[in-house]
Amino acid sequence: MKTRRTVGIVDYGVGNHVSVWRAMHALGYRCRVTEEPAVLDATDVILLPGVGAFPPAMQAIEAKGLVEYLRSQARSGKPFLGICLGMQLMADASTEFGLTAGLGLIPGRVEPLRQAAWHIGWNTFEVVGGDPLLRCIDGQSVYFNHSFVFDAPPEYCVGVARLEQPFCVAVRRDNVVGLQFHPEKSQASGRQALRSVIDGLCDA
Amino acid sequence: MGVITVRSGWAVQSFGYRRWLPLGRPEVLAENLDRWGVDEILVQAIDRSASRSGPDFELLDRLGRIGLATPLIYGGGIATVSDAARVVQSAADRVAVDALLHDDADEVRRISGHLGAQAVIGALPLAVHDGGLHWLDHRTGRESELQPDIVELFRSGVASEALLIDWRHEGSAGAFDQQLLRSFPVSGVPLIAFGGLSEAQQIRSVLGSERVAAAAIGNFLNYSEHAVQRYRRQLAGVPVRPASFSSKGQQ
Amino acid sequence: MSRGRTCRRCLYGDRHPLGLTIDEEGICSGCRIHEEKDRLDWNARWRRLEELVAPYRVRDASAYDCIVPVSGAGDSYFIVHLVKERLGMNPLLVSYNKLFNTPLGIRNLANLRIRFNCDLLLQHVNPVSVKKVTRATLRQFGSMYWHCLAGQTVFPVQTAVRYRIPLIVWGAHQGLEQVGMFSHEHEVEMTRRYRKDHDLMGREADDLLSIFDTLNEGDIWQFRYPGDDELDAVGVRGIYLGNFVRWDPRRQHEQMIDTHGYRSARFERTFDTYDHVDCWNYMGIHDHLKLVKHGYSRVTDHACREIRHGRMTREQALRLVGAHSCAEPGQVELFCEWLGIDRRALQFIVDCHRNPEFWTETEPGRWAPRETVTARGAAAPGPEDDPGFRVNEALEFGAERRYVTVGKGFPV
Repeated sequence: MKTRRTVGIVDYGVGNHVSVWRAMHALGYRCRVTEEPAVLDATDVILLPGVGAFPPAMQAIEAKGLVEYLRSQARSGKPFLGICLGMQLMADASTEFGLTAGLGLIPGRVEPLRQAAWHIGWNTFEVVGGDPLLRCIDGQSVYFNHSFVFDAPPEYCVGVARLEQPFCVAVRRDNVVGLQFHPEKSQASGRQALRSVIDGLCDA
Repeated sequence: MGVITVRSGWAVQSFGYRRWLPLGRPEVLAENLDRWGVDEILVQAIDRSASRSGPDFELLDRLGRIGLATPLIYGGGIATVSDAARVVQSAADRVAVDALLHDDADEVRRISGHLGAQAVIGALPLAVHDGGLHWLDHRTGRESELQPDIVELFRSGVASEALLIDWRHEGSAGAFDQQLLRSFPVSGVPLIAFGGLSEAQQIRSVLGSERVAAAAIGNFLNYSEHAVQRYRRQLAGVPVRPASFSSKGQQ
Repeated sequence: MSRGRTCRRCLYGDRHPLGLTIDEEGICSGCRIHEEKDRLDWNARWRRLEELVAPYRVRDASAYDCIVPVSGAGDSYFIVHLVKERLGMNPLLVSYNKLFNTPLGIRNLANLRIRFNCDLLLQHVNPVSVKKVTRATLRQFGSMYWHCLAGQTVFPVQTAVRYRIPLIVWGAHQGLEQVGMFSHEHEVEMTRRYRKDHDLMGREADDLLSIFDTLNEGDIWQFRYPGDDELDAVGVRGIYLGNFVRWDPRRQHEQMIDTHGYRSARFERTFDTYDHVDCWNYMGIHDHLKLVKHGYSRVTDHACREIRHGRMTREQALRLVGAHSCAEPGQVELFCEWLGIDRRALQFIVDCHRNPEFWTETEPGRWAPRETVTARGAAAPGPEDDPGFRVNEALEFGAERRYVTVGKGFPV
């Protein structure tokens, strides 16, 4: 009998990790919300949440001394999932409120959404390149709420959404996955995506 | 968008901003809307500004404990940046402000700066008559012409969406006045229509307008089972998400 | 949350557990909605009912048009009369065995299916599970009636899904009748939301499971609501006759006594003799718990109903309610014996759930009602206050005071 997977949610003082915790719990995963590297070491997957603006979020991660730790974990092959702002934080840099460096886990910059001021509401997720982790939600609606996008190189972009033109809403580099939408607020589709990504990364 | 109106801690039906009938516990209504697959849930605590009690954090805690998988918007009594920040840290994803727009526009700007405009919705109880748009101060029951400085708030992008509330027709079947949508002077702000939306034909017409991002329904979601799914089916052809029916034991 | 106002017309206050609003004239939402009963065109509403049920009529003699949930009391007779004899439909009656059966209740239920000549399905949940569930609900939130409410409200819905009969016909909507939760014109229908919020006090079957309790899946799955997908596949829909008929339980019961052999009896803690003849505990320990937790008891519901129908004055109601609600509940030993708990343990649990809004502990273990308790301090009723509900039987129906075990061979 398989033991329950443990998800480590990085608590860096920014963002509502309570909903994410509840979503994990509802899916049957054990969950630790923590800023301690030792606790994160003992988890099966690291989850980086985030809401709000890029610069204060990076500052908060730096203040907790977690930048190098998160980079080394990602490089070592540890399953790593960033959602919403957490996905954007994985980029090299963001132009929100001036240029700020990110964690640099996946190349690319975070730029303003050009087609509109914001991307808010339910929109269709289209998987790119048939990534097995996200195929299950191809063509389904998920919930977005952002005004900046991760301009990732095509080899790392695994999902897009459209206003008129498509833009990247999911990234992957081996063990590191980023989702721009709120899976914890996307009802059945969100749950499917979370389960598929977490189980997929851990089983790999 | 499913609306839960809360008064004295109870979820209520609201008629024309004057009369209320009880419904039950807001958490039970929220859990139900979540299971039905509504796009967003708006919880409006309508007596908080008038009593200067601030946001209903107890209610938000209870809502947080259910573990909703649907985006939640909270409005009611938000008066400061710290109120708004705490609301968003609690169970809500976005905030709605009505009274504060008129009491302290600068504070709304600060809230928008702190949370991002995408987390802020400006709520306006409106009526069209005597050749113009009139705003209702729900605390005093008095109407006044919609002021230019409020319009300017929206024009400058402080709020990502405007919730236009046809307060007179709240609770009246099929009575939403679409003139409200046409009369709103800021063209770049997506609109949410609310108040007297109950018939599929109406909702179809409202969602057909380019300016409208969402149709919000309150009272009329409470009279039958699967109300949200039924509306979705009746709106075939309109780009809305399909009806979804959860299975037994799955919340 | 509550402000402690009372309606000027009836006896309800805004602390009512179903929620109640009181308007600027001091009249409550329940009384306001009741006014519709004298204003609406009931002929037109009956015609609406006919239109509504028309698509559900089955031409086939070997199929059911609808499901009607029944018991040996309540308005079951009148509902079956409307469905079978006035609407001419072919109902499947379903009933949930509450286990606290009075002999009269069993007799009434048998007479119901025989007199109206209907098919009836009776559900019994295994007694070990029911007792475990009852111990858990009593401990967790001071209710020993949860299994009855859960069973009564879910079994008809499960049957609708299993037998693929979409229409369920209920009588009156409790929220509408008591606190005016809806207008008759809203034509409110059955929802899982209302069941969880009000019938089940905020707790569905799965909510009872907790790591600290001894309940497991096997004890509660029978009370679980069908999935939305199952309901949608069959098109299950529950309607309330009270939206289409001018609902008056007293008149309706008296009519059924005269025409269809319904039998009534005196039961405790109220002047009504029609509503709850089938259960030893509804008006006993269950009603006592209502007073303990909510500061009023069922006699208040009966009184408000009679005030609104113009058959009782408010002052008369206060006297009757005052006298009846403080009567000690009966058959408590029977309940303790059935559940397997000590009388003192029961008292302890009851006191744990006492609501301090309504009770003060005058000395350890002794509680006195506060002025917030409905009709506390009312004068004693006189003989002229008796509203004259008819009695033509007794609860034990010539047998003993005991729970009738259905299926053990009981002569009717």
